[in-house]
This record gives sequence, structure tokens and C-alpha cells, in this order.
Amino acid sequence: MERRASTDGPAEAAGPADEALLRLFAKGDPQAARDLTGRLGPRAFSVALRVLGNRAEAEDVAQEAMMRLWRMAPEWEPGRARVSTWLYRVTLNLCLDRKRRAQAVDLGTVPEPPDEAPPAIEVLQQAARVDALQAALMHLPDRQRQAVVLRHIEELSNPEIAEIMGIGVEAVESLTARGKRALAGQLAGQRAALGYDDDG
Amino acid sequence: MTDLDRMLHAARAGRDDLPEALAQRMLADAAGVQASLTPRPVPGRDLHAHGAWRALLAALGGWRGMGGLATACAAGVWIGVAPPEFLPDPAQLVLGAQTETETLGFYDLADIISEDG
Repeated sequence: MERRASTDGPAEAAGPADEALLRLFAKGDPQAARDLTGRLGPRAFSVALRVLGNRAEAEDVAQEAMMRLWRMAPEWEPGRARVSTWLYRVTLNLCLDRKRRAQAVDLGTVPEPPDEAPPAIEVLQQAARVDALQAALMHLPDRQRQAVVLRHIEELSNPEIAEIMGIGVEAVESLTARGKRALAGQLAGQRAALGYDDDG
Repeated sequence: MTDLDRMLHAARAGRDDLPEALAQRMLADAAGVQASLTPRPVPGRDLHAHGAWRALLAALGGWRGMGGLATACAAGVWIGVAPPEFLPDPAQLVLGAQTETETLGFYDLADIISEDG
């Protein structure tokens, strides 16, 4: 589904703000539902996928997070927070709930196989890199993984991550720095396997 | 750019993808919630047909006002049927006129007859 940029999200663009769309949604506007799904659905799914490392679970979490957004729409208080910030927080909490319920899962089996795609070398190599990254992410402690995903994949600012995670900005900086170091250490021995020796 | 930066870049490339089936499920949820938020008229009931009645009811102070009015009407009817001692007879008040009769004495009547001759 096409994503439409939000005026109050990281990428500012034309169109009503998420908050305005939420008000329209609460009044029964079906187009507002489509716009919000296009804007925020990918955000919830992307974060859930990177934090959980499982596509089916990520879909369930993203759907539940959006359902909570729909139900909360009539009670949304203007100016309380960014809608996207609220959704990220709900998504991460749902991810944490899932992980608590599934402590016995073997993390080594979590990374998903690449989606079926044209068998071009470049595409396969790209998918292998993302899978390797995902496997490395899954070995990080939960809070480090969340911070790294929000900072380096969702490209949110440190203050916004601090608001989402309910911690200070310095703690966010510490988590992302340690997380990135740990990822680099885990991936250091995989350069040749991931094709980095070929393309520099 | 480090290898890790390239991997993160590759991960960012797919972050805006939303599976179509998931998008449809989200929209179905949204439609369900919107349906529950939007008030629907009761089938077969014409809300405008009772507009005049509703206006009258509101002018009388709602159902509470209507209750007081009904009580006052019932009390009025009862007072009319069985008035208390200290009140005048409502029938007399309404009809107004009293019938007066003047009686003549026996001798007066004899005088009248004798005058006629």
C-alpha cells in the first residue's frame, strides 16, 4: 500500500496532519482511514518486524496497534503527542508483551527467510544483508534493539525516541551507541558472505 | 560508509512496504470501528413526524412539566365534581342566574279577583 507522508511525521509533506486525519476518522470519513493506514500502517509493521523478527507476528502486532488507534480516535486530545509517537509506543509495548509470552522461543530460528523475489544476484545479496542484520538485531537486548531500530531504520530523532521509550535523551544515545557497536561486532566476520568484499 | 551502515540502509529501503492483505485487514477494522462510532437512525421510525409534538413537549418543560400539568387537570376535574364546603358551587358560578319565585297571600289573591269584577 502506498505510503503518504505526514505533516507531523519525520518527512514533512503536503496533506493534513495525522491529528486532523484522526479527527476526520472519528467523524466517519473513510478516506481518513485510508490515509492513516497508508501513512502509519507501514511504520507499525516495520518496527514490529525489526523488533520481533517474525513477519506473521509483526503483522498481528501492527494490526492490533492500528486497531487501538481507531478505537482511541474519538478520545484523542489535541496536542497531547504526535500520533506517530503514540503509535510507535503502542507497537513497541505490544512487541514486548509478545516477547514476554514467548520467552522459550529459540532466537536462532527467528530470522525469516527472504521473501520470494526475482533471483537477481543483487536482490538476493540485499535480502541476505537484511536477514543478517535482522539476525544480529535479535541478539541485542530488547531496549538496545528498540533504540537502534527507531534511530537507524525509522530515522527518528533522539528526543522522539526518548518520548516513545519513556527514557531520557542521554539514555537513548547510550543505547543506540552500544547497540550499534554490538551489531558491528557480530557482523564483522560476515563481510565475504554478504558480498562486501565484491562491492567494497 | 561502514558495512553496518549499508545494511541499515538496505533495511530502510523496505520499511515503507505494507503487505496488501494486512492493509486490507487494517481498513476492515477501521470500517468496523467507524460503524460503531456513527449513530444510526432506528429503522422504520420517522424522527421528523414527531417534530411538532416534541416542540410542544419541550415548551411545557419536558415530561416533568407534562406530569405537573396532568396532575393539575385531574385536581381541577375533581374539584368541579365534588367541591369542598368553603368553595362556591361551580355549577352556580357557571350558570349565573337564580330562579326567584314570589308568592302571594290568600287575601291578596281574593282582592285581585274582586277587582276584576
